[in-house]
Amino acid sequence: MKEKDAYIDYEPQQLIMYVEKEDGSFGPIQTGSYISKNYLDDFWEKMLRLRNNLLEQLKKNEITPVYFYKLIHDFNDVELARRTGIPVFKVKRHQKVNSFKSIKLSDLQKYAYAFDVPVSNLFQAIVVEDNENRAETDKNIQPIIVKQTRTENPFLVITKIESNKK
Amino acid sequence: MAAHCESGTLTALLKHKGLEITEPMIFGIGSGLYFGYLSRTPNLSFPMFILRTKPGKLRKKIARRTDIKFNTQRFKNQDKAALELDSLISEGIPVACQVDFYYMDYIPQWERVHANIHFITIVGKEGDEYIVSDSYYPKLARIHKDNLRKARFAGGYLAPKGFMYYIESVPENIDYKKLIPVAIKNTINNMIGVQPPFIGVRGIRTFAKKLQGWPQLTRDIDHLSHEVMKINVFLEDQGTGGGGFRFLYATFLRQASEILSNSALADMSKKMMEIGDGWRNISYFAAKIGKNRDLGSDKLLELSNLIHERADAEEHFYKELRIVVSNI
Repeated sequence: MKEKDAYIDYEPQQLIMYVEKEDGSFGPIQTGSYISKNYLDDFWEKMLRLRNNLLEQLKKNEITPVYFYKLIHDFNDVELARRTGIPVFKVKRHQKVNSFKSIKLSDLQKYAYAFDVPVSNLFQAIVVEDNENRAETDKNIQPIIVKQTRTENPFLVITKIESNKK
Repeated sequence: MAAHCESGTLTALLKHKGLEITEPMIFGIGSGLYFGYLSRTPNLSFPMFILRTKPGKLRKKIARRTDIKFNTQRFKNQDKAALELDSLISEGIPVACQVDFYYMDYIPQWERVHANIHFITIVGKEGDEYIVSDSYYPKLARIHKDNLRKARFAGGYLAPKGFMYYIESVPENIDYKKLIPVAIKNTINNMIGVQPPFIGVRGIRTFAKKLQGWPQLTRDIDHLSHEVMKINVFLEDQGTGGGGFRFLYATFLRQASEILSNSALADMSKKMMEIGDGWRNISYFAAKIGKNRDLGSDKLLELSNLIHERADAEEHFYKELRIVVSNI
């Protein structure tokens, strides 16, 4: 790769690339990410579509929150089992709507930890209408901010909705 | 910043210890270049390919070949792991930690995926925050202690289990002239030696062949597009230095040629750079057809053929490199 062909102007995601320099030597340059600069909008569209499709299925009680978050985090059953410490057969069972009804609270806690969400988020979807259809990169200009703060009580989270004063 | 997290972290720690060494040299003498197509690993939700050796192997090879002494630790107890880390950084010792990349919240959200194979260097602590030097972030970052704890003790495939290391000692002299041929031979063996069909050049061919069956493994066109576009991410964005580590390895060969005063190795470095350009073209092509959802069997076949071409080029390259190295 020639140095002149390697520069990509994309400040949000920088990386180091090794190139052939003008003088024929090889060395590193700092440049931007090609795929993020050119295709990030497509990535967000796909993620949003996946999330919305799954949410629709969740609303119709066709899937369980475990299945929802498993796909969002791109885990498979074995990986989820290893991350939660719950046996694979149970992880499979917890993705079935009827079996999910009898899930133990302690298992929910393990899932919530692996999915990096409060336990309460396994039973609710927080949707802010004004923030919809904004790219994730525009988060700092979203008019409403939702902040979730964990407490010492593992089952309680404080959800605060604020207007963005920036 | 550095091209790759593991070699970048190692280079930074060694430089801090007073050893002047470059990242390509670390990558090269640790025989980091590799190829593997993983389709049957139970923890993976989709087949993937790898372009470097297993995390940790680079450091182990460097330790064995150079006599650099590393102090490595794993923990069962999370509190003990935090205490040990705090104690070392309070003494001014930078410490490398293996983490789940997902929890590195200073990195843009779209980049962060669950991967227990990321390495960062902890250089300090202020209040509840650690100061982090990350190869993929242009300046020093901060991470909350709770997040670092989660990242160090995430479960799953290649779970870090609190793994951390620092450098105890560096030898006065490293005999690069002796090391370089050994390391190159090791890489040649990884790529064209007797290996399973999913490793090395045979692995590249397996990847080219299996890729055409990806539509049967995906949920829908969005999913297929996402997986095809990840080819670009794996080759360029996930800390490879571009062209799937081939540019980094070309730079190693160039530096090796200077140390050994060997013009044949310099020629090989140029050839490796060109091989990397071919991989970069593949990554552009994959991104383009992924974005356009132009993922019919004809396009996948075209992509597959491009990958087959790389396999042929690499096979020829390593055979030639074997001859060059045998004459050193």
